[in-house]
Amino acid sequence: MTISWLQAAIFGLFACLCSNSCMAGQAVGNYTIGRPLVGGLVCGIVLGDIKLGIACGVAMQLVYIALVTPGGTVSADVRAISYIGIPLAMVAITSQGLNPLGGTAANLAKSIGTLVGTVGTVLYYAVATMNLVWQSFGWKDIEKGKIDRITGVNFGWPWISQMLFSFIPAMLLTHYGATAVTALRTALPMDGIAMKTLFTVGGMLPCVGIAILLRQIVNRPVDFIPFLVGFTLCASLKLNLVSVTIISLLFAILIYEIEMAHNSSSNGGSAAIETNGDDDEEDI
Amino acid sequence: MQSTNDIKNTDQKTLDHKTLTKSFYLWFWGALTCFSQEHMQTFGYMASMLPILKKLYPDHDDQVEAIHAYTAFFNTNPMLGTVIVGITASMEEARADGQDIDGETINDMRAGLMGPLAGIGDSLIDGTLIPILLGIALGMSSGGSPIGAIFYIVAWVLIAYFGQRFLYFRGYTLGSRAVNILVGAQGAAIRRAIGIVGAMVVGGVLASWVNVTTSLKLRGADGKVFLNLQSKLDSIYPGLLTVLITFFCWWLMSKKHVSAIWTMVILVVISFVGVLVGFFNPGLSY
Repeated sequence: MTISWLQAAIFGLFACLCSNSCMAGQAVGNYTIGRPLVGGLVCGIVLGDIKLGIACGVAMQLVYIALVTPGGTVSADVRAISYIGIPLAMVAITSQGLNPLGGTAANLAKSIGTLVGTVGTVLYYAVATMNLVWQSFGWKDIEKGKIDRITGVNFGWPWISQMLFSFIPAMLLTHYGATAVTALRTALPMDGIAMKTLFTVGGMLPCVGIAILLRQIVNRPVDFIPFLVGFTLCASLKLNLVSVTIISLLFAILIYEIEMAHNSSSNGGSAAIETNGDDDEEDI
Repeated sequence: MQSTNDIKNTDQKTLDHKTLTKSFYLWFWGALTCFSQEHMQTFGYMASMLPILKKLYPDHDDQVEAIHAYTAFFNTNPMLGTVIVGITASMEEARADGQDIDGETINDMRAGLMGPLAGIGDSLIDGTLIPILLGIALGMSSGGSPIGAIFYIVAWVLIAYFGQRFLYFRGYTLGSRAVNILVGAQGAAIRRAIGIVGAMVVGGVLASWVNVTTSLKLRGADGKVFLNLQSKLDSIYPGLLTVLITFFCWWLMSKKHVSAIWTMVILVVISFVGVLVGFFNPGLSY
């Protein structure tokens, strides 16, 4: 599998639309086009193998299922994951002759995607830095009272940053990277230590993504319990995710009712939860 | 509705639906287009306020003066933050009507809300809603089917578009009362309840999609396997290694303050050593 200039240019355009400071808006750009699962669909259509594209997208989406950017700091760049990593992973999987739906292919995709995504954060900071130039134009316009130009500063000029740091890198890396990835097969044999390590890491990387999310939702040790209940429902009872969501809604209702009852009994002590708030009669 | 404004206080200035919608779209598409680390969403905010200022202040100099209230730093969760833009639209309207509101009042409101809404938005949207949608979509797309990806696109874009639109107009009609449900006691209860859903679904995602296994088998002198570690672990708790690795990553990042990138590097080292001693073997072949 090779990537033509036209296909590479399409990846470049999608990279402009979806990066963290994206040209297609946050909801549509970053949160839709940028997600690896959607990127897998786009790359699959462009490269003519939707099945493989989706398989790569699913694998990489797992690593980044909880991509949070608190305060504008990023640990991975979605444009690089979805529109450089996925095309390269697709080429690599095809050239290695792996079953696209197998675990080995998925682990290879995760390793490539994470590597590219991490390195790709450079692009994120490059765009943000270059936008300072356009913003300085904006400040001057405001000073001179030409406030109509703010729209152009916000929607027009940043395309130049995106062309330089999204379009061109994505186009060059996917076009030339495809050849390099194909050469990997001869350079690194599958039963060598390097490849074994790469695939083992690929299998573990989603744990980092989940752990990032856990950091967001776990404040006290007991907060681990709903997480473990969800895990047990799937791992031991083999339920699917829709079923787990429905079961979790029951707990959500209970928590809501308890919290509200807790609020209305103006007592405030944590003992109220343990005793269901029933024997707290004293109103202050 | 748009009458002459020669007597300022008796003559209500009202923003029409068209102007508000335009302002909403400018925020929806452009909250972060001109993002920089220094000013973040400031220019996106100014761009979306522009049609409102132009509508409220016919005089160019007044428009220029009014925009200065929005030159201050702004950054929040772009989805939930839509409500703040809606609130400022109503405050700006009141200011143009001659009520006792100045740029500083507007800025205090913006600065006071952007932090809490960023925190709520990150845990509610990025931490709960998106993992649920993606978790369901991943299940539908296993086996290489595009259905899951299409489901995610449709479901999320509809939620985001109508949700943000609702928040914007809610902010405009209710003013700062619009955020009461998010920051009050009831809001806290709702957040905790949704947090439970998020935590359980994420646990389910981990179990369904990640499976760290060991290939360690101890053989006796006769070559028979007397210890198959993976099946032993499975009989204790299915997926034990997966959970342990995840807790280890969580512990590194939240207790030891290791960055996500270094956590990945540590996993590379663990994998390398594990492969060398035969604990891990992905079983590769061409």
